[in-house]
Amino acid sequence: MIALTKTLKYVCIGRITLRNQLAYVVDFLVRSLFLLLILYIFLQLWQTTFAGEGAASIAGYSFRQLMWYLIVTESMTLACPSLCTRLEEEVKSGDVAFKLVRPVNFIAFHYVEYMSEVAVRFCVNVILGGMLGLLVLGPPDDMTGFLWLPLTALGGFTLNFMLNMVVALSAFWVEETRGLEFVYNKFLFTVGGMLMPIELFPESLQRIVRWLPLQGIVYTPAKTAVAFEAVRLAGMLMAQAGWIVIFACVALLVYRRGVKKLNVNGG
Amino acid sequence: MESIRVTELGKTFRLKRKREGLAGSVRSLLRPDYVEKAAVEGVTFTVRQGEKLAFVGPNGAGKSTTIKMLTGILHPTSGHAEVLGLNPWKERMKLAHCIGSVFGQKSQLWYHLPPSDTFELMSRIYELRRSDYVQRRDELIERFDIGPHLHTAVRKLSLGERMRCEIAASLLHRPQVIFLDEPTIGLDVVVKQRIRELVNELNREEGTTLFLTSHDAGDVERLCDRAIVINGGRMIFDDRVELMKRRFLTHKTVQLVLHEEPGSLQMPGVQEQARDGVKLTLSVDMGVTSIEAVLSQIMAAYLLVDVTVEDPPMEEIITQMYRTGVHEQEEGVG
Repeated sequence: MIALTKTLKYVCIGRITLRNQLAYVVDFLVRSLFLLLILYIFLQLWQTTFAGEGAASIAGYSFRQLMWYLIVTESMTLACPSLCTRLEEEVKSGDVAFKLVRPVNFIAFHYVEYMSEVAVRFCVNVILGGMLGLLVLGPPDDMTGFLWLPLTALGGFTLNFMLNMVVALSAFWVEETRGLEFVYNKFLFTVGGMLMPIELFPESLQRIVRWLPLQGIVYTPAKTAVAFEAVRLAGMLMAQAGWIVIFACVALLVYRRGVKKLNVNGG
Repeated sequence: MESIRVTELGKTFRLKRKREGLAGSVRSLLRPDYVEKAAVEGVTFTVRQGEKLAFVGPNGAGKSTTIKMLTGILHPTSGHAEVLGLNPWKERMKLAHCIGSVFGQKSQLWYHLPPSDTFELMSRIYELRRSDYVQRRDELIERFDIGPHLHTAVRKLSLGERMRCEIAASLLHRPQVIFLDEPTIGLDVVVKQRIRELVNELNREEGTTLFLTSHDAGDVERLCDRAIVINGGRMIFDDRVELMKRRFLTHKTVQLVLHEEPGSLQMPGVQEQARDGVKLTLSVDMGVTSIEAVLSQIMAAYLLVDVTVEDPPMEEIITQMYRTGVHEQEEGVG
């Protein structure tokens, strides 16, 4: 009964954030136009690359698979709000006090808030990106992997939240966290597999990247969707879950230390 | 029974000192220089259940830091505090169920959504039973007269309407202690009065302990029985508001707009503070004369267009306290 009440609390926070986010749908739609521009540029780039290689596939990916891979990774990346900006502003304005003075878990509150926002943005991006994909590329060859997308994307967004939370919590000490976030995002764009699948990296880099948590964010969902391999799925999901647990613990530890150091501004 | 017990509470912040000029900035980057600033020092007091306490002082005096420590948001550097028998910073989640807080300069209501949605969220956050929540919500809607605004997006509410909703939202879980940080800031006289009446009613009927900070001497005078004055992180006064008024709230400011430019005003207990054509600002010593007597005398000689009577700001009262040496007399307060 107690567990149910506590769960309901976070479900309600998620629902109200979702409703609040709906006020920004037009804003998201306008932003998502940027997604179309990026995808158009990638389309041109990879068309030229495939033409130059003269091959039907590169590292096991056909042109159509690669483009659908990018639709997934870009839709996910552009759906993620900046947690660092949010926490930094909360600390600077003193609004963090409101979260701390209520009987809610600080990290869980931010998680449901983040995921609700992600849900709205991701839906908008997937609809726009999907429409573009269907119009320009046609449907993916195999839809099996796309059935796993809700689950793998949930894991990817959760892992991204945990990693971002660790970075954002440094706001409790330094107040300025955008620099760290900038570096983190650049790693995600490159070695995280956002710009291209990890299989396209040089062998030595692939070996390093496989040990990094970043692959669980956009690579796992996009790879599973467009180049589904049933034998690898369980391993990829377990790696994703493992990294989520590890970084949830790290975020909790950082939070516990940070909250003691916190200097709430304002008032 | 005590609601709050504070013993030798202190909070020191470590601040980075910025040096002047570009070279100074580079030096600060390489070899940062820190200074320690005591925001609160050795504060000791207790608050009885149902008591209405004003915790006042000028900007940067340590009021908000103390409130933040008592609500568990900040960890103190030294000392001890108990709110409803709980250590705020160690048992923050448990304490959060029993206390309420209103920060006048911040909003807890969701901007794009109607207050009813925030109420619903609060009921879940505080894990209220549905029947209890519905009963309490309806009671607060009636008491705060917010029925017509409940389903309007917060961004479309006036400040006064929003503030009534803010306070009602903070009371849904029937807190035993409520921390009000500048609850009437920016509100007009009528709304201020209404908020004060509502808070007084709440204290009377539910025995809620009030812990108020405000720069408005009117809030202190009309809401609280006892006042603690803090300045530079230290307590300089702790006694009944009545005594504080008698000793330090001796002047009122009267602003007049007359039909014609007045000549020199010579009245006992009245001091001219500013003059700008037909506008006149007077300081009236209530121990010598009354507002009524001053106004009658002016109206007998001039045609009055507008008049406002204000309490002096808290800063002025504290200056007055220092002028009369209260900080020396009250060194051992608490």
